[in-house]
Amino acid sequence: MSQLDILLVVLRVAFGAFIPICFIAIGVWMERRGAGFIQDRLGPNRCNIFGFRFGGLVQNLADGVKLIFKEDMIAGHIPHRFYFVLAPVLVFFTALVSFAAIPFADTLVLGGRSYIMQTIPFDIGILWFLACTGFAVYGIILAGWSSHNKYGILGGLRSAAQVIAYEIPMGLAVVSLLVVYGTVNLSEIARFQGQLLFGFIPMWGVILQPLGVVIFIVAAFAETNRTPFDFAEGESEIVAGFHIEYSSMKFGMFFLGEYVAMFASSAIIVTLFFGGYQIPWLATETMVAYAQPIAIVLMLLLPVITYYFTNWIRKNNVSHYYRPNDPLVREANVYIKICWILAAAVELILLTLVVINPSADGVRIFVVLLQMATFLLKATIMCFVYVWVRWTLPRFRYDQLQKLGWQILLPMSLVNIFITSAVVVALS
Amino acid sequence: MLSQWLFYAFATVSVLGALGLILSRHPMNGAMWFVVTLVSLAGLYSLLSASLLFALQLIVYAGAIMSLIIFIIMFLNIQPADIPDEKGKWAYLLGGCLAVTPIGLLLLKIVSTLPGGEIDIVGNGFGNVKSVGMVLFRDWLLPFEIVSILLLVALVGAVVLAGKKEITQ
Repeated sequence: MSQLDILLVVLRVAFGAFIPICFIAIGVWMERRGAGFIQDRLGPNRCNIFGFRFGGLVQNLADGVKLIFKEDMIAGHIPHRFYFVLAPVLVFFTALVSFAAIPFADTLVLGGRSYIMQTIPFDIGILWFLACTGFAVYGIILAGWSSHNKYGILGGLRSAAQVIAYEIPMGLAVVSLLVVYGTVNLSEIARFQGQLLFGFIPMWGVILQPLGVVIFIVAAFAETNRTPFDFAEGESEIVAGFHIEYSSMKFGMFFLGEYVAMFASSAIIVTLFFGGYQIPWLATETMVAYAQPIAIVLMLLLPVITYYFTNWIRKNNVSHYYRPNDPLVREANVYIKICWILAAAVELILLTLVVINPSADGVRIFVVLLQMATFLLKATIMCFVYVWVRWTLPRFRYDQLQKLGWQILLPMSLVNIFITSAVVVALS
Repeated sequence: MLSQWLFYAFATVSVLGALGLILSRHPMNGAMWFVVTLVSLAGLYSLLSASLLFALQLIVYAGAIMSLIIFIIMFLNIQPADIPDEKGKWAYLLGGCLAVTPIGLLLLKIVSTLPGGEIDIVGNGFGNVKSVGMVLFRDWLLPFEIVSILLLVALVGAVVLAGKKEITQ
């Protein structure tokens, strides 16, 4: 292994480990501000460090500190302490490793060697994701069971039954997708979606599998225990459900695990149905061939976007009543400066790309960075859909949930498999 | 070299898990030990570059079947007190060991005197999804379909047996 190989391994593993963790902060922030936005209020915006609030992101830091320094308590009536501690670890860890098989950029070719841009470059792809979601059930069951608490057991039962039930439509939706793509390897699936249908429509899974996308997204919502399927808890019936006995960071692991699972399933939805890292109409080879025009277009777009973004900050980050020497305006000015400095830095990098005419490797790295940005942007949008649904739809009733899973989604996915296979056989 | 050490580790852990399964008294402990065994078996499959089998072991055995069993243990809330008391367990164990020893020795002798067969080492890709699918759906299509019908019959039978009983007046 050359030094480059080792460096790339380290970079990929770092991406796979830290990006989901970073998205916890973004997800929690988006959830709270999104809830505020949808319910016509502000959401957390008071926590600050020297007056800097970063739009409410500092609240996460405060909550993290609170969770870490709370008393970590295991109630005396709990007989199986090992499982009690194991459960949150399992929930968090399985959510984190389920991201490992997802490609975040096209294969990077450097000096004649190609590097698959996944955290773990194996070819079982979607099967790994299904295996990891299967293991997440253990965390829920063990938490509910070892809590030795009526509400805990009820919450664990409901949640585990739901996750086990919705694994089936999810797996069947994946089967019909595999018939279309002809592979389980997520890198190949993402590459497949770079093609064009009839020469002008991007061949995304959402266009090839309109029914499959609905089934998969519904099942993914249920798998991550998000509203409208968040039966694990229910304040009026079973209080906090399977994590009722947990305090401090052990509760925190469940909480963070939920957001990691949300990000990982957003990433898998994006990879399967929304083209993964593909920029529409710009396949990897096209981007490599036209790197300089793309860089010029980005250079032109970036100041415009920054201009409107900074104007938006200036307009919104003011006090709504008269304050002498408004501290919010001072804060906004700093943000605006930071934005322009970042924009200038990116412009400089793009300028070197345009002027110096770099080697093939440089162009490849530029393309991979663009694709990574695209992937993260799409995953963020999908995370927002999760938030949006959570604050729009009420919770189902439990029998409605099971009815939806077994009587609607399961037949629908079977029909989808038949139709898809018939079409694929007829076309080939 | 690393794969050899991994093999030893997985093999040891899987045997330990099996021992834990039969020796632990609490059903939840037994089930969790069995999960350990299943996961380390998946590790052994991956060392044999059988990536499809690795994934299926994790999804089907460790992910689905064992989680259902643990779900049922939780659902029925089985405690050690619910399990029948085994009297004279150690005497039975000792007697069983003594009874089985000659057969074990015989088996060891047979295995050690087996003639060395011709072994072809296949390439690394033989266990991935595509090649297993090719073998399964080309050479073994009929047995595969028969086995799936068998499973379907078992499934329908379970549904019929567990289905709602007509309430007779």
